[in-house]
Amino acid sequence: MKLEINNVSKRFKDKTAVNQFSMELEIGQCVGLIGPNGAGKSTLIKIIADILHSDEGEVLLDGKRISKMKREIGYLPQYPNFFQWMTARETLLFMGQLSGISKKRLIEDIPTILAKVGLTGEQNRKVRTFSGGMKQRLGIAQALLHKPSLIVMDEPVSALDPIGRREVLNLIQEIKKETTILLSTHILSDAEEICERFVIIKDGTKIEDTTMTELISRNHEPVVYVEIAPKDHSWIQLVDQLPYVKKTEMMGSKVKITLENIDVHKNMLIQNALDNDVDIVRFEVSGNDTLEEIFLKLVVSA
Amino acid sequence: MKPFFILMNKEYFQMIRDFKIIWLPIVFIFLGMTQPVLTYYLPAILGALGGGQGITIDPTMVQQEGGQVLATTLGSQFDQLGIMIIVISMMAMIQADKASGMLAFILTRPVTVWSYIAGKIISNYLLVIVSVTFGYFVSYLYVSYLFTDVPISHMLLALLIYLTWVLFMVSFTLMISTIFNGQGVIALIGIVFLLICRMIIGIHPTIDLINPAGMSQHAMSLLVTGSVDSSLYVNLIITFLWVLFTLLVSHFWISQKKFQQD
Repeated sequence: MKLEINNVSKRFKDKTAVNQFSMELEIGQCVGLIGPNGAGKSTLIKIIADILHSDEGEVLLDGKRISKMKREIGYLPQYPNFFQWMTARETLLFMGQLSGISKKRLIEDIPTILAKVGLTGEQNRKVRTFSGGMKQRLGIAQALLHKPSLIVMDEPVSALDPIGRREVLNLIQEIKKETTILLSTHILSDAEEICERFVIIKDGTKIEDTTMTELISRNHEPVVYVEIAPKDHSWIQLVDQLPYVKKTEMMGSKVKITLENIDVHKNMLIQNALDNDVDIVRFEVSGNDTLEEIFLKLVVSA
Repeated sequence: MKPFFILMNKEYFQMIRDFKIIWLPIVFIFLGMTQPVLTYYLPAILGALGGGQGITIDPTMVQQEGGQVLATTLGSQFDQLGIMIIVISMMAMIQADKASGMLAFILTRPVTVWSYIAGKIISNYLLVIVSVTFGYFVSYLYVSYLFTDVPISHMLLALLIYLTWVLFMVSFTLMISTIFNGQGVIALIGIVFLLICRMIIGIHPTIDLINPAGMSQHAMSLLVTGSVDSSLYVNLIITFLWVLFTLLVSHFWISQKKFQQD
């Protein structure tokens, strides 16, 4: 299984939703498509699920056009609605049969899949009575039913409360062992939790395609945060003049100081502060930027 | 072919769930009853209720032929209230699936647009056939009881002819339901267009020939005069072409994903 997205573009009237987007997805990967609202994530997901036609470019699964390979794709819409008057079991029977599975096999498989998504007791309840989390889990059950080689999920957890979110995230963790997953989200901690690889999209353009570890090591900065008593703020100008200090930046009561080489220079900086009799409240060697900070940097500045 | 049956099954299942399969035939049965009963008892009703003085009811007027009354059932009941009921009961056919996102969702499965459309139109048309036929038969029973007999062969042939006009009503509603998103707009366009089709009959022979509502006229004249006009066959073919056209437009609209533009 290999998904290729080649130079896909999509325009809506005057707005370009997706612009020359390309990426590849190998078997067994879990890729998070992240970007701010309106970045074109949903449009791209819909093109991959063959709900929208792209204006340019193509999406190939194993070298064949996606419209010929629908059997191999499981799709979970952002707000799975289903038919309100069907029960959970009927919904799965209906969607499963449409995916080309025989009724006999479905009747055998449905209890297993309902157990997997935690809806065993609810199989004869109408979808109308389901909560958002339950609908989402039913949506996942539906996407798994025909054992697709690729599962595409549009914002699987964004609309859920913390409990529903936890349930669905755990479920995705579980199914990720068996299939290839492409999901979009604007909640970074979710993506961070389930995906190894991220594709960041902004204004329809891919601005980053990387893994978590790569992203963090690349954004590892030699920075210390110093909090000092207000009376000593004049020291900051002094620091700015030091040869090994690249940059100082006030952040509220803290000063962010970027050094040439953190290991060598951080003690020199403390020494300098002590020499100047500065009242240090806190001195902190920065941890890594969180994904959120990196994301903001990429999306806002780029 | 298989997804078509699954989709059609689902349609029937839904009709049973919301009792459409019961109320639509009942409505048509009432419609079918109305014409013969009203025509027969109207003089008596007028005599009993209206201030009788000064009104003479022409006794020859009451002596209507059975075929004539049955024809009026088609022309005055089914072609007026009947059209409105058919359009209103069918207007959500595709619009509801568009609104809930189920249309897009179903098409992410290996399902062709044709099997989706065929599932919709065949299931809904069959339901309308059953409803109209029930109503028509009830009307026929009342007619034979209260008026003169209508030959069964004429009665059945007229029904078949009339049902092609009904097919156009259903396929036209399906097309409007595919293109437009508001139920009100769909109902308005559907009802107004079909009523206009019905009203312009008789304006000009050429217009009648290409007008699917002409089929209704043919069915009526068969009941009244006992013979069909030779233009029936051309009209029949053109009606089928119109039906094909509405289905092609719907197919084009769905496969080009025009419904996704928001």
